[in-house]
Amino acid sequence: MPSASSSTPKDEPKTLFSERPEWADVQALEQYEISNPLAPIFYSEEYKDATGYFRAIVKKGEMSERVMELTEFIIRHNPAHYTVWQYRYKTLLALQSPLEAEIKLMDELAVKFLKTYQVWHHRRLLLLLQRDSSNSFSAAAKELAFVAQSLKADEKNYHTWSHRQWVLSQFDHEDLCASELDFVDDMLNHDVRNNSAWHHRFFVVFQSGVREGEEDRARVVKRELTYTKQNISLAPNNPSAWNYLRGVLDYSKMPYAQLTSFVNLYAVPTDSDVIDIVDLDNPPPSKDAQLPCVAALEFLADIYEKRGKDDEEYGTTAAVEVYFPSFLHFLESNELILSKQVWKSLAHEHDTIRQKYWEYRIREALVNA
Amino acid sequence: MRPSQKPTPIDAFPTPTSHTQAETEAVLLKHTLDNGDAKPVLEKNAHLQFLIRNFVQGFPQRYTSQDASQPWLLCWILQSFSVLQVGMDPNNKQRSIDTIMEWQHPDGGFGGGPGQSAHLLPTYAAVCALAIVGRPGPNGGWDQIDRTKMYNFFMSVKQPDGSFLVAEHAEVDVRGIYCLLVTATLLDILTPELVEGTASFIASCQTYEGGFSSSSQPYFGPGPTLLDSPRPALGEAHGGYTYCALASWILLQPFLNASTGPKPTVNTKNLVRWLVQMQGTEIELGGFKGRTNKLVDGCYSWWVGGSFALLESIGVNVNHNHDTNDPAKAKPDAEESWDDVDDDLFNRKALQEYILFAGQHPAGGLRDKPPKNADAYHTMYCLAGLSSAQHRVIQSPARRAELARSWTSSANDNPLREDIFLHSLSWVEEEGTSKIIGGAANRVNATHPLFNLTVTHAEGIMGHFYKQTIPPKSFRAPGPAS
Repeated sequence: MPSASSSTPKDEPKTLFSERPEWADVQALEQYEISNPLAPIFYSEEYKDATGYFRAIVKKGEMSERVMELTEFIIRHNPAHYTVWQYRYKTLLALQSPLEAEIKLMDELAVKFLKTYQVWHHRRLLLLLQRDSSNSFSAAAKELAFVAQSLKADEKNYHTWSHRQWVLSQFDHEDLCASELDFVDDMLNHDVRNNSAWHHRFFVVFQSGVREGEEDRARVVKRELTYTKQNISLAPNNPSAWNYLRGVLDYSKMPYAQLTSFVNLYAVPTDSDVIDIVDLDNPPPSKDAQLPCVAALEFLADIYEKRGKDDEEYGTTAAVEVYFPSFLHFLESNELILSKQVWKSLAHEHDTIRQKYWEYRIREALVNA
Repeated sequence: MRPSQKPTPIDAFPTPTSHTQAETEAVLLKHTLDNGDAKPVLEKNAHLQFLIRNFVQGFPQRYTSQDASQPWLLCWILQSFSVLQVGMDPNNKQRSIDTIMEWQHPDGGFGGGPGQSAHLLPTYAAVCALAIVGRPGPNGGWDQIDRTKMYNFFMSVKQPDGSFLVAEHAEVDVRGIYCLLVTATLLDILTPELVEGTASFIASCQTYEGGFSSSSQPYFGPGPTLLDSPRPALGEAHGGYTYCALASWILLQPFLNASTGPKPTVNTKNLVRWLVQMQGTEIELGGFKGRTNKLVDGCYSWWVGGSFALLESIGVNVNHNHDTNDPAKAKPDAEESWDDVDDDLFNRKALQEYILFAGQHPAGGLRDKPPKNADAYHTMYCLAGLSSAQHRVIQSPARRAELARSWTSSANDNPLREDIFLHSLSWVEEEGTSKIIGGAANRVNATHPLFNLTVTHAEGIMGHFYKQTIPPKSFRAPGPAS
């Protein structure tokens, strides 16, 4: 979404285009024909000068080396000027200039203007120009390295992440994706709460084709569940990891109930006497975990609701007995009542801001029962 | 600290995300403590002064970054005036129209400023601005919009996967699609040809989290035929894109309803879950965030908060009975009656408090969060979000029937024209459900959930382009303090 920010390049020539002899043949164009437009912007003199020449160039349809200089100047003042980018791209094509210089410039500008749509899109256009050439693989590989570097400066930058996903799908190549899971791992090791990295993991594992060694999808799903559960055990109150867990189950159409024993560990108050048990399928919360965890309660309620709908046999009586002794008397009726209890505890105690939503879930469950 | 304002748990496992989160919570907490039990006041006058300064005098140099978004700057100001219940004199209206018309591109559509290329985003902003200030006839703006050329521009940026480039040689994203669909709807140039495949594209942008991403990547088989899978979302679920995708999905309903083939679907259960998860907790004052594990920001008051009004149209939470004229249902605009209501899905009271306590800059204008500056973008979307938290505007079958009774068709009609018109204008504020935190003086105008224009402005421009007379709403219940 657009937002105002200032940008004043420092290392630029001071001469206005109107004072440069090589531009003497061009008459700059005023922006507005009317004399008093509303909501005007107070431009710097250099910007006003340069954009006046840009309008004149567009009108003439000139595509030349000096246009490259002019457009670069404007972009440095306002990287969101899409018309300037568009014209620069057309000029680049018309001049058939070698791309190296342009790529080098983009490496500088992308870092400077990380949050601008246009800098990333221009990179895409340049990559597409190289797609059918012999060095397309190395161009894409270089791009991934560049993106990794940029993400260090801004770990959740939306454009950067979606650009990475675009490169991977556009240059769909086994070797390009080979180390992608390691890359996600590094990012998540640095910040396990980085939702962009979790989303990228989903893209890599489930949405960009099946790679060599990953043909056994059941094994891949099991690996992902284990990975996610381990990360939840480190920091249980992490909605990104829980959302990923749900995503994996939804994608593979597996019932949430198969994680009941794991989820139960996180849906109870913190127990300081907990003994460290090594159970890879059900890694326990750390001793500093702040439990019960809202996401676990929600997950549990979903399990109960589904079971109530399926009218299956209880598999969780024992777990309920241990963790929710006060719910025991409800067991005689049905699991829907259990989910209702959990939703009520979310609404009134653990997640009160979403009270309306939890009440809605109760209404919906009753209607659909 | 109120008892419910517990810090977000970090499980003794700090990371960069939990650091910035804790910093933000400390700042926001100060803003509740500072305000204590004071009744929050919407400083309408200060915001108006801020807007008028931008409108008449202009924007400081740092807004050069918005030089390619001039229609947005004006649109945000004008729509903020509308939400703040401020009308405009004929002279400033005319100056606005004259300014807007300089942005129209000779080959159709509007650009970000005079001489700039046509682009879907400024096209939406310019047309919405004209909906507010324009009129039919010479120099009124409306009849100077070249709709044929605009349609050709739209078709020229259409992609094989149903998406649209925002401009020639530019990117694809769902913001552009939303902008195109609103513009085409308002101007009566929405055709089956234009939107073929668009609903499938929108559906493909939904992520496993339930919200929508900026776009998706097409894969083509021989032919080339567009493959159903893989069609990965590019980028994670995001508040701005989710609003645009959901509103687009609803604008496309007349086409989906009329289609006989297999229809794309979205997962509404996951969508609702994701939307409610975006509301910050009490310590974040109930503001909205735009992505999982990111910070609250006033602009998502509209992008996420405003999305809730759209859900009922796709069958979510429709258990209650609308269009009753039962005066007993009407409640006064008082906080006392708050809990008596209602089957909302999010905490409307808390959202209003976030905007009033944290969203207002002391010097006028609204903002992301303290201690940031106010700007035109946040002023608009905080106010629109406040509006959506105060009012419930829903699609009303009674209003639809009323509009249908006075519909007159014309020769060689696109068979969906009538449905598009009724679908867009059947939105009315549900009587007796407005909830104004801080008292009636804080009331702002209701805004159309699909367009972010007032219903009156949407009726005005659509009535003109569809050549319809809009009947007055005949079933208005005695509105409390309206």
